[in-house]
Amino acid sequence: MGAYVYSIGATAAIFILLALSLNIITGYAGQAMMGHAAFFGLGAYTAAILTQTYGVNFFAALLLSMLVTGACGALLGLISLRLQADFLAITTIGINFVMVALFNNLSITGGSLGLTIVKPTLFGVKMGNRQFFWLTLILIVVLCLLIVKMRRSWFGMALASINNDAGAARSFGIDVSRYQILTFIIGTAIAGLAGGIYSHRMGYICSSDFAFVISIQILSMVVIGGIGTIRGPILGALLLTFLPEVLRFADDYRSLVYGALLVLMVRFMPSGLIGDNSPLVIGCKKLKGKLFAKKGGQKA
Amino acid sequence: MFLQQVINSLMIGSLYALTAMGATLIYGILGILDIANAGAYLLGAYVGYYVYHATGQLILAFLVAMTAIGLFGVILHRAVYGPILAKPRMLSIIPLVAAVGLFTLSSDAVRLLCGAGTKAYNFRFSTDVLHLGSVSIQTTWVLIFALTALLLAVLWFILNKTKMGLAWRATAEDPDIAKACGVNTNSAMALSYVLGYGFAAAAGIMTGILYNSITPALGEVPSYKMLAIIVLGGLGNPLGTVVAGLIIGFAEVMLSTYTQIPIPKDAIAFVVLIIVLLIKPAGLFGQRNKV
Amino acid sequence: MKELMRIEGLKMYFGGLKAIDGLDLTINQEETLGIIGPNGAGKTTLFNAICGVYKPTDGKITLKGQEVQGLPAQEMARKGIARTFQISKPLADLSILDNVIAAAGVHEYTGMRSYFRKSHTPEVVAKAEAVLEETGLRELRDKKASDVSLGYLRRLEIARVLVTDPELIMLDEPCAGLSNFAINEVTELVMKLKAQKKSIVLIEHNLPITMKVCDRIMVLSYGKKIAEGTPEVVKNDKQVIEAYLGEEDEE
Repeated sequence: MGAYVYSIGATAAIFILLALSLNIITGYAGQAMMGHAAFFGLGAYTAAILTQTYGVNFFAALLLSMLVTGACGALLGLISLRLQADFLAITTIGINFVMVALFNNLSITGGSLGLTIVKPTLFGVKMGNRQFFWLTLILIVVLCLLIVKMRRSWFGMALASINNDAGAARSFGIDVSRYQILTFIIGTAIAGLAGGIYSHRMGYICSSDFAFVISIQILSMVVIGGIGTIRGPILGALLLTFLPEVLRFADDYRSLVYGALLVLMVRFMPSGLIGDNSPLVIGCKKLKGKLFAKKGGQKA
Repeated sequence: MFLQQVINSLMIGSLYALTAMGATLIYGILGILDIANAGAYLLGAYVGYYVYHATGQLILAFLVAMTAIGLFGVILHRAVYGPILAKPRMLSIIPLVAAVGLFTLSSDAVRLLCGAGTKAYNFRFSTDVLHLGSVSIQTTWVLIFALTALLLAVLWFILNKTKMGLAWRATAEDPDIAKACGVNTNSAMALSYVLGYGFAAAAGIMTGILYNSITPALGEVPSYKMLAIIVLGGLGNPLGTVVAGLIIGFAEVMLSTYTQIPIPKDAIAFVVLIIVLLIKPAGLFGQRNKV
Repeated sequence: MKELMRIEGLKMYFGGLKAIDGLDLTINQEETLGIIGPNGAGKTTLFNAICGVYKPTDGKITLKGQEVQGLPAQEMARKGIARTFQISKPLADLSILDNVIAAAGVHEYTGMRSYFRKSHTPEVVAKAEAVLEETGLRELRDKKASDVSLGYLRRLEIARVLVTDPELIMLDEPCAGLSNFAINEVTELVMKLKAQKKSIVLIEHNLPITMKVCDRIMVLSYGKKIAEGTPEVVKNDKQVIEAYLGEEDEE
């Protein structure tokens, strides 16, 4: 039982990282990013190639793959400056497809046969699901703390301003282009980190692990949970990782339910289940208001 | 042989143009990238299949599929897209996510209802292949090309020579002003869906005839490839879509025949798109005035 | 009066359209300068050229001795040029207070370094609240900007301008679309700023207000300056009257 939980937990944790990093780009910076899996895969392959072919230490490989992915993210950021939202969305889809095609055709990535990865050792112990779970969990906590700090900083104010009105943001000193590129770098680098962990945890990766459909899954986690918050992507990732397991008996209907869920969420609750403007959150706020009013507190 | 490949490119390109036309019409009016248009393509192929096999009449299959799927599109607009777009201030990916959800839903519904196996149209002419000099063309391709040209001509006629078409163009240009001038913007939007989904359905049937097989996964490649094509042509621009479809058709045939690049055929559309966008960020023909 | 900004030979051409066609203008410190002219004269284009939203096709803009033409908008903001917009641009999802705090960070937005500095420090909040008080928005402090009426939004834009401690305040039709009552409130606010000896440039269509508030007025028509001077002088200028009312019809 424990082994099973750690296995699912490790997967969920990796996708929480992915969802949180995508949320930085789409939620906080408001950019259309529909090819996140491409950077997930870039990190996965880069880290794998570094450890397997060049004998680089696992943790060093993770860092390096973040650098590589972030650099590509910077390129995408530069491209995003020239393209309006819809054009950018399609371009990111295109990048996803081109990346997957490259993964599938280049010899360094093992081509269509994929890559096999020997699991790294930590303090003499071969890393298994338990170790990967805890490693990723620590990273999630660190990331959440960093995001909270960002939200409370001028960086966060800059993103919020850009998200609401870029022209106004410029009028009080915000270099919109610079911040846009920075968020792409940060978001993609973290996706690359998740990828590096993923490839070493799975022991085997191939190009279809990073297809466009995966980008949509990550985006769904963010949207269903609640875009623009920290709790939203976490809940979304947990939900979309655990629910298929729980509903295994209805496996055949999985895509149907998933598609229907997406449509219903976006149609009726675009703020997500626990986003800032979702019925649940607003309901809780009202409840809290009533409770404090009863206790004789001042009404705002 | 080169002329042969040119003919092939023309055939494929025009089918692409027809397949992508629906998404262009919908973008022109609503400003959303309708990935679910590929769902219409898939549904059209299946509805057409059942009608054809029940009645043996291909024309009837076309008519029934196009009408049914077109109306289905209008229902989708009323139930899903309309209310979503009516909400104030929203990220551009939200309608996209809805479209993806609809497409996934329809693909899986087809799989569950009709089975995951392949179905064959088995439509043949008495002569399989036409030989014109050094070029040979499958008769079915000729039929498809003729039908595509006909449908595009009908579209051109509707958009440019009818009152409905004028209403559409006015609404696409500026919905608020159009409404203020008394244009019925709601029926313009409905027209987009009827034409757009109807065309996709027709394209689906044509694909089924051409390759003689349909599966529930039929819509997967068109779902994103058609988006690349409409962006390439300049969003919301029907003429641009035709040109872009032809360009992609040419690129795919020529590159896969004459070169050895490590990119699979289906990703070529995106490579072309990315290159063009880097030079012309608004696509080949630019965008309709969308805020 | 000491010169604050000098504009020489400014040209803004958009393809074949000559929105501004050779403009010379001096903006002085502690002065309220009005810019008027019929629709399409180029008034907002002039603002955009000064503020860095557009890059001038030709010409020189000097701010306190430094050449600044062509600098992007965010840099002009850091040099002390603060402007409001003809069509209000509030940060819709944020509260009124946060809208002002966002602007207060004008000198903080330096890229990665901005990550390490907290935005809602007691000093910043106090400064923002002081500006809200000054612009009469204190009660709306916690209201979401999207829930607030136009009159307040216009004052919010002025509040955003004030919190940056600007060298030059540029107001683009602050009274447009407002009720008479709201117009009076905005006018009072501008008079208050004038009394504090702030440097102000004002675009307004409302001529009585402009005449009352401005020390000097420049009149634009088809991208060219057709008159400049005190309100009295401009009011009686024949070319100005023609530009606004058109020539006499031969009926």
